[in-house]
Amino acid sequence: MNCTRLQQVLDAHIDGELDATTNRDIAGHLSECSACAALRDERITLRHTLRTHAPYFKAPPALAPALRRAMAQSVAVAKPRSAGLSWFHAAAFATVAALAGLLGGYWLAQPLADYPLREPAVASHVAALAPTHELIQVASSDQHTVKPWFQGKLDFAPPVKDLSGDGFTLLGARLDHVADKPAAAVVYRIRKHVINLFVWRASERAPDALATSSVRGFSVATWAADGLRFAAVSDVEARDLARFAQRVSSP
Amino acid sequence: MSGAGNDTHKLSRFESVVLVHLDAAYNLARWLTRDASGADDAVQDACLRAYRFFDSQQGPSPKAWFMAVVRNACLDWLKDQRVRGADESYDEHLHAANNLPQFSSALELPEAAAARTAEARWLHEGLAALPREHREVLILRELEELSYKEISEIVGVPMGTVMSRLSRGRDLLQQRLRQSRERKRS
Repeated sequence: MNCTRLQQVLDAHIDGELDATTNRDIAGHLSECSACAALRDERITLRHTLRTHAPYFKAPPALAPALRRAMAQSVAVAKPRSAGLSWFHAAAFATVAALAGLLGGYWLAQPLADYPLREPAVASHVAALAPTHELIQVASSDQHTVKPWFQGKLDFAPPVKDLSGDGFTLLGARLDHVADKPAAAVVYRIRKHVINLFVWRASERAPDALATSSVRGFSVATWAADGLRFAAVSDVEARDLARFAQRVSSP
Repeated sequence: MSGAGNDTHKLSRFESVVLVHLDAAYNLARWLTRDASGADDAVQDACLRAYRFFDSQQGPSPKAWFMAVVRNACLDWLKDQRVRGADESYDEHLHAANNLPQFSSALELPEAAAARTAEARWLHEGLAALPREHREVLILRELEELSYKEISEIVGVPMGTVMSRLSRGRDLLQQRLRQSRERKRS
């Protein structure tokens, strides 16, 4: 091990992030090279200073009670969308919620099948575009920012593709639900139209060919591959959505 | 029917799995937003988001998951500030001495307490002035003592990037330390 290499891995060494063999090589070099040993000592002093003196901002005492109040309120508001079996109660609140409620009820009557998926996907698309709703939780046109954002949030890894060459701009992503299943929603734009690409875990592994249709004026494309279900929804022309779905579904 | 019982159950689970990390969340938010009310807003926003997606989160580390949600809420808050035209650059003179947490110094000698306060102030300024991408990994590593893997999940970058950002952040902090010592001497 030489000095250049050592300085590259010195921090990881001090942080205890290296394997035993590399740690031994480093220790060997440090015992012979006083310049590198001085660097190490400086780093250890810095770490000690940071851990003992850097300000740690504890949550103010009033914050936790305020959060509990806010969450209790959000439970009351979010119920129509999040609690599966109370879908029918939603009818009283809003037209959109009522529609989603009926569709949700229909869906629950057939818990094992993946069909029909188009209606719940359209309901989620409509809900996501409501002014009070958050369409994008991670805003980025970079697929390498959007894809890792899902890590730890879902038990599957939705594919995120850069389709800017085909006129589809990646806007970002959010977590959503389709028919009460946790779903990734990857958001693209073509011209003025938003495309929601929903991805969730299929209940069966069998792949399913690409199918496009129209639901209440929305274009919908559905398919399944690799144990995942896909539904793309937009108010864009069916032709454009089919092109989008083909690009996303092609390996 | 999913009634109040389920909500109560979910709330109490959320409390024990997520809200136990409230101090860590708030500390990260303070260092990212560099603003007390910004941190309040971001943490509240993050808790609501986390609560909403609590059932679908199945990652190995609830803390890392929650911290990632907090971080996103902070970035959104910063973006809102930019949209409103607020100056993003950090004004050291404006922020320097205010809002430092109080230390319990009853058992310390006055000299030790003063040195401690001076050190804390210096670190506060030095850390706050670091570029965000270096500041956040240093806070997560040194103050939360999280592993590279957990930091990589929170920040959404590979572990190699965590390593190089930490390294660079410490370089910058150390440069600052040397400069301030030289200034004192001259």
